[in-house]
Amino acid sequence: MLPGRGAAVTGAIGRVAIGLALALSCYGVIAAVVGGRARRRAEAWRASARGAAYAVFMLYAVATFAMVYALVTHDFSVQYVAQVGSRSTPLFFTVISLWGALEGSILFWALVLAFYTAVVAAGGRGQARDDLQRTYATATLLGVTVFFSVLLVGPANPFLPVSPVPLDGPGPNPLLQNHPLMAVHPPLLYLGYVGLSVPFAFAVGALLAGRDDEGWIRESRRWTIVAWGFLSAAIVAGMWWSYEVLGWGGYWAWDPVENASFMPWLTATAFLHSSMVEERRPGMLRPWNLSLVVATFLLTILGTFLTRSGIILSVHAFTQGPIGYYFLGFIAVALLFSLALLAARSDRIGRGRGRLDSAFSREAVFLVNNLLLTAFTFTVLLGTLFPLVAEAVRGVKVSVGAPFFNRMTVPLCVAILFLAGVGPALPWRVGRPAETGRRLRLPAAAFLVTAIGSVVVAGTRDPYAVLAFGFGAFALVANVAEFWTGTRARRRASGEAWPIALVGLIRANRHRYGGYLAHIGVVAIAVGIAASSTFRREVEATVRPGEAVELGAFSVRFDRIWGREEPQRFVIGADLSVFEKGRPAGRLDPRLNFYRSSEQPVTTPAVRSRAAGDLYVNLLAFERDGSTATLHVILEPLVPWIWVGGGIIALGALIAAWPESRRRRLIREAARRPGRPAVPQTGAERERAADPVVAGGTGA
Amino acid sequence: MSRPLVALLAFLLLWVPAPAGGAPAQEPGAPADSALEAAVRAVASQLRCVVCQGLSIQDSPSDLAREMKQIVRDQLAEGRTPDEVKDYFVARYGEWILLDPPARGFNLAVHVLPVVSLLAGAFVVGVLVRRWTRAPAEEEGSADPGETPT
Repeated sequence: MLPGRGAAVTGAIGRVAIGLALALSCYGVIAAVVGGRARRRAEAWRASARGAAYAVFMLYAVATFAMVYALVTHDFSVQYVAQVGSRSTPLFFTVISLWGALEGSILFWALVLAFYTAVVAAGGRGQARDDLQRTYATATLLGVTVFFSVLLVGPANPFLPVSPVPLDGPGPNPLLQNHPLMAVHPPLLYLGYVGLSVPFAFAVGALLAGRDDEGWIRESRRWTIVAWGFLSAAIVAGMWWSYEVLGWGGYWAWDPVENASFMPWLTATAFLHSSMVEERRPGMLRPWNLSLVVATFLLTILGTFLTRSGIILSVHAFTQGPIGYYFLGFIAVALLFSLALLAARSDRIGRGRGRLDSAFSREAVFLVNNLLLTAFTFTVLLGTLFPLVAEAVRGVKVSVGAPFFNRMTVPLCVAILFLAGVGPALPWRVGRPAETGRRLRLPAAAFLVTAIGSVVVAGTRDPYAVLAFGFGAFALVANVAEFWTGTRARRRASGEAWPIALVGLIRANRHRYGGYLAHIGVVAIAVGIAASSTFRREVEATVRPGEAVELGAFSVRFDRIWGREEPQRFVIGADLSVFEKGRPAGRLDPRLNFYRSSEQPVTTPAVRSRAAGDLYVNLLAFERDGSTATLHVILEPLVPWIWVGGGIIALGALIAAWPESRRRRLIREAARRPGRPAVPQTGAERERAADPVVAGGTGA
Repeated sequence: MSRPLVALLAFLLLWVPAPAGGAPAQEPGAPADSALEAAVRAVASQLRCVVCQGLSIQDSPSDLAREMKQIVRDQLAEGRTPDEVKDYFVARYGEWILLDPPARGFNLAVHVLPVVSLLAGAFVVGVLVRRWTRAPAEEEGSADPGETPT
């Protein structure tokens, strides 16, 4: 199939779609702002802005479809396909190479952003669509879309024509076509990362609309839960990918790419807690909450800048492509705009409404939680940027890696685990030490048993590991106890069976129990990390067929080396027989994959996963005649609990973010605003009614 | 401020950085684990694999990292101190080879600022909690409870 005229059409469709998307997103911003400010025909302008948002989404759907079509049909007249495509790559990896390189990932980002924009513009059930805050939020999201559209039309255009058209391409980066998790991690990451633009948009929308009610915090919080859930799952999926592909038996290296995804997660986590304070005490912490939301958004853009501009390799790599300057310019504009907006509205948001009934309360714990998470973010940011600063200031390249980050952040992690157990046991407003002490008795016992057990039985020497296990048990018991006592009380009151009472309990307060579930997930991850890094045992050995590598209770016998030609790669594998305490315990086949486009082979370690931990075997080297294989055998206790923890967090976020049923919402709204009609007015009507000039002018 | 919060803040003030090295504790007496191997791991986890994205030569499975690790092992076996081995690599690759920048000169910033920011933040939170619990709704209570994250 030679690319002919039909093929060139695909690229043209893509170029037209992103060009129109740029024009329409610009128009949408203008229409929304006019609709927000105009006294006359405001509804028409706002409706037009909504229409632009829907159209931009449709255009990006068309552009993305065109790109996937070009990839699948190997249309090498399209530059991105010529760059990442290959006739020998399997279909699955061809489709997901959409996000395998810069241009495609920016296109995918734009699609996700346009999707969120359309959803925000459309509003939810029973919400006024042309509400002023929502209109400005839509304008903000369209403004961000303008930036990504400019990237796509300019420096990151994936649809540029290639001439002469190559017959084949190099295929995607080998690392990215070696594991199916590459189909999971990037979309989740984008849904999370880009989703964090929505709370930012609502913050800007509230500030522009001059609203000082709680409307912004409800929307921002709900959207943060959604995006945060995706981002949590994405980070854990990324760790898992790294574990399954990179072959060193680790999952987190404090690499700038990882830090970039982690920093907004930290600030979003801080916001999820501090926003609860503002929800309960209107106005309190509002400047702080707004700052957190803005910081979270800026950190997503900064992270993309760091990982996509090449600056992290060297200050000098940055100047090789123009895209870094675009990002830097956008960060500067967004930062200045946000600061100016916060300053301009400081009279409305800055009123001193801070009040605490007691320092012994959940509010106070949330303040400390925010302190720790913010310090954590600052440390990661500093460590990530420091090599750039040092290179710029001293002209000397330095590295800031795992030893630094672990030393600085492990104490913070331990303290955060402790708080995750204390928080649920403390009531809002005023806590009574005796009551809290009673609730924390069992968690404290769990702390003692686990901490002592980890020293005496497991032989833990590192004090921070002991604290991590202890506080992990503490927080686990404290959070599980919330489910237990709540279910028991409900069962006593209604006589329901245990599972029904549990479901009823969660449904009655999804935010709260979703949050506790997320805590349990965090504990699982923390304990998995602490155990696998403390008790990791490994051995590296070169063996002949029939010889075995011994580690702990395991004996791994090397049977033979085999090779297999596949269209896109050559695979070398080692057949291994595993024995646990002398008994056969399955087979493993770690592999090395040789891709044409890469000199270094990509590893596929073999992992035998059990709840107690993993046996991880990586093939390091082999003799061509099959006479020896060099194996790296690692025992990593509790590693699977990290992935399980990610799932638990995602489930918690899903429970918390699940839309409320119509019946429950009506009941709640009726309880909150007695006497208000159930039929929602349009936002513009409500504002006009509140505006004496307009109300008088139209004779209403 | 009530006692538990004071205790918590005191805990933060006593914040001691975790021990450097991060070399995993090993069970004594395991076959492949001699004192030398523990020392090799401690040094190797401080040195950057030159062909990887921020992995140490302890962690990296690449051939070059394994060769560098063998150099570490040989030198330690000859009786050199861990610092001498690290200096050997710094002399060849520059300071860049160290994953934890040596705490002197300009590098002090990266070691000191996280602690300073945490302490400053703890101070601000302490002041705010005092102010907010003492008097109802004072006008000047608008400061942020912590340092700005960026």
